Amino acid sequence: MNQPRILIFACKWCGFIGADAAGKKRISLPSRFRVIPMECASLVETDAILRALAGGIDGIAVLGCHIGGCRYNNANHTAIKRLELLQDLLDTTGIGSSRLLLSFGTAHEDYQFEEIIKNFFDELTLLPPLDPWL
Amino acid sequence: MANISVFLCKCFGEIDNTINFDFLREELSKDPSVVLISIVDSLCLETDIEKTVSQIRESNSDKVLIAACSTLSRGNLVIESLIKEGVERHKIGLVDIREGCAWIHGDNPEDASKKAKDLINMGIAALQHKDMSDDMSVTVHPNALIIGAGPAGLAAAMSLARTGFKVNLLERSKVPGGMLKLISRCYPDNDDASNKLGPYLREVENNPLITFYPQSKITSVEGDTGNFTVHFSFQEKDSFIQAGVIIVATGAKIFFPTGLYGYGEIKNVINQMEFERQSLNGSLETKKPVFIQCVGARNRERPYCSTICCPISLKNASRIAEDIPGASVFILHRGIMTPGNTLEKYYRDTLSSGVQFIRFEEEQPPRIIGSDYVEAVEVYDAITGITRKIETDLVVLSTPLVPNNDNVQLAEMLDIEVDRYGFFSEIYPMHPLETKTDGIFICGSARWPVSSDHSILQGKAAAMKAVSYLRQSKIAASTLSRVPGLKSGHARVVPESCTGCGNCVAACPFDACHIEKLEGRYISIVNMMKCKACGSCVSVCPNGTMQIPEHNYRMVGEMIKMAF
Ligand code: SF4
Ligand code: SF4
Ligand code: SF4
Repeated sequence: MNQPRILIFACKWCGFIGADAAGKKRISLPSRFRVIPMECASLVETDAILRALAGGIDGIAVLGCHIGGCRYNNANHTAIKRLELLQDLLDTTGIGSSRLLLSFGTAHEDYQFEEIIKNFFDELTLLPPLDPWL
Repeated sequence: MANISVFLCKCFGEIDNTINFDFLREELSKDPSVVLISIVDSLCLETDIEKTVSQIRESNSDKVLIAACSTLSRGNLVIESLIKEGVERHKIGLVDIREGCAWIHGDNPEDASKKAKDLINMGIAALQHKDMSDDMSVTVHPNALIIGAGPAGLAAAMSLARTGFKVNLLERSKVPGGMLKLISRCYPDNDDASNKLGPYLREVENNPLITFYPQSKITSVEGDTGNFTVHFSFQEKDSFIQAGVIIVATGAKIFFPTGLYGYGEIKNVINQMEFERQSLNGSLETKKPVFIQCVGARNRERPYCSTICCPISLKNASRIAEDIPGASVFILHRGIMTPGNTLEKYYRDTLSSGVQFIRFEEEQPPRIIGSDYVEAVEVYDAITGITRKIETDLVVLSTPLVPNNDNVQLAEMLDIEVDRYGFFSEIYPMHPLETKTDGIFICGSARWPVSSDHSILQGKAAAMKAVSYLRQSKIAASTLSRVPGLKSGHARVVPESCTGCGNCVAACPFDACHIEKLEGRYISIVNMMKCKACGSCVSVCPNGTMQIPEHNYRMVGEMIKMAF
């Protein structure tokens, strides 16, 4: 069975807190994901995502705060807009937008983080592995 | 490549029961940049910190990587204790292998160990490229500028002056007092407004630390936190003040419901402000008043509740019911809003004073009967389903407070935000009274309609927040983080590669960068006093020119490479 690899960019005010809380509760999770904490989802550069995909990482998740809950004066609005454009680009290039999970305001709690990770794993398991380009 | 010493914390078995530390040691020793691998029992122990510090000193390492618990647990404390011992902040990296690994993969030690290895490698890669932001500081002008001398501004002025700071109090009209000057009594204690205002007015007059500028209007604002220069016209002459903080207490204005219920055309249809004026000058004459609530509020155009008009009607209705024998008083409402611990009692007291309440729906508002004098009001009672005709001699319309006309203009000058209606707003609900620009505060009805009591409360609160800035002689940009601890950095431009495209300027949510012409080229300049290190500019810069040194693209790139 395909064992997907996931990279998570987690806003430190939201997704990162969820990840941390899942850890504190010792919730058992599949191991093949790595979290990079970010100051804000708006710091996630699109080329970092493209490079990760090109490097053979099967799925990228960007976890940010809910709309209206951004610490940085709605910086996450622009992040969402930009990353949705990237999803379109991924569809056009054939990589597929389902490899880029955007989730805002839904990963703040331990069980929410768990659900997001597990579902994303399940989804990616159905896709063929992404051969590294680089 | 920097030499790195790695410290693996066992957390007394919490980590090494799952993760194989021998495997980690073996893997890490393959990395030529790792000059020291040390396994410690618990970095929570002072003795282990001491041991760690002496090992760092003895080793020839340039940077330190700690693999332990998450920053949200004790990780940050470990970092802080190393800093206290003289290790530089940007030379420390922390990798979470407890919450982020051992504790969530306890059922699979083999994969957990591999993951821990990857996480540590990511940490090393990041640390290799981690840099440090520049910082700057400004000298603070130890005085405040308060815009608006209503209850909020007056309370702020009094608090600041009594704390020992100089206050410049600007007011657009001739005298201080704001809306309190125009009303007779205040709810919920039914105290005379002049009693409430008295102590503050005396303070303005007698406290030498307060300078009052009547008939003044702000024309422009320059500078940053701690060092604002505000230009204004004062009695038609141009003037300016340098202040460390600014408190916006400009209040709000009454909505005049022209065209509604015959307001403006029929003599005995007035609004609450006119009711106040008439009771203040003794010209009020009514035995059968009808108060109509939510006139111009909680509708499509103004979907908010102004929160003060229900208590005002309770105040004025019960006053007539109690003072005038044989009076018949009605309040027609859409649900009386009396939140809090005092107002509900106020409502019940009004009920027992004999005031009658009828609830109507927005779709079926009351109807005025009479063309140049209202003799009665017809209302469909939404609870009983009966249409009632109420005889009256005075219809009082309860209208909401609306934002002042020049709020948007003032907000632009101050670089703060207004909400969708035009009231000044915080940018984040967890920082009440604070705005987009550090050192500028909002309070009272300028922010949202509130009673005079709440205005005073907010004014005092804003003053105390202001003191936290004013008491510093210098403010460093890195300390303007609004959360405990320092900012995570500042955006930095590499002038050589900046094309001056302006993407960063468009994306910055704090107006922290702008384009300037330097040596014949246009480049972006970051104002560190405003930058919050959100990174919006970084992700739109087309050539990687804009970076946050503590979290730059090289770090992220190398981390991605080492992730699996
Ligand atoms: S306080 Fe009362 S009258 Fe004013 S808007 Fe709210 S519900 Fe309507
Ligand atoms: S990091 Fe954020 S606040 Fe700072 S300049 Fe860039 S966009 Fe503006
Ligand atoms: S986005 Fe980058 S290149 Fe463009 S002005 Fe800003 S720093 Fe310069």
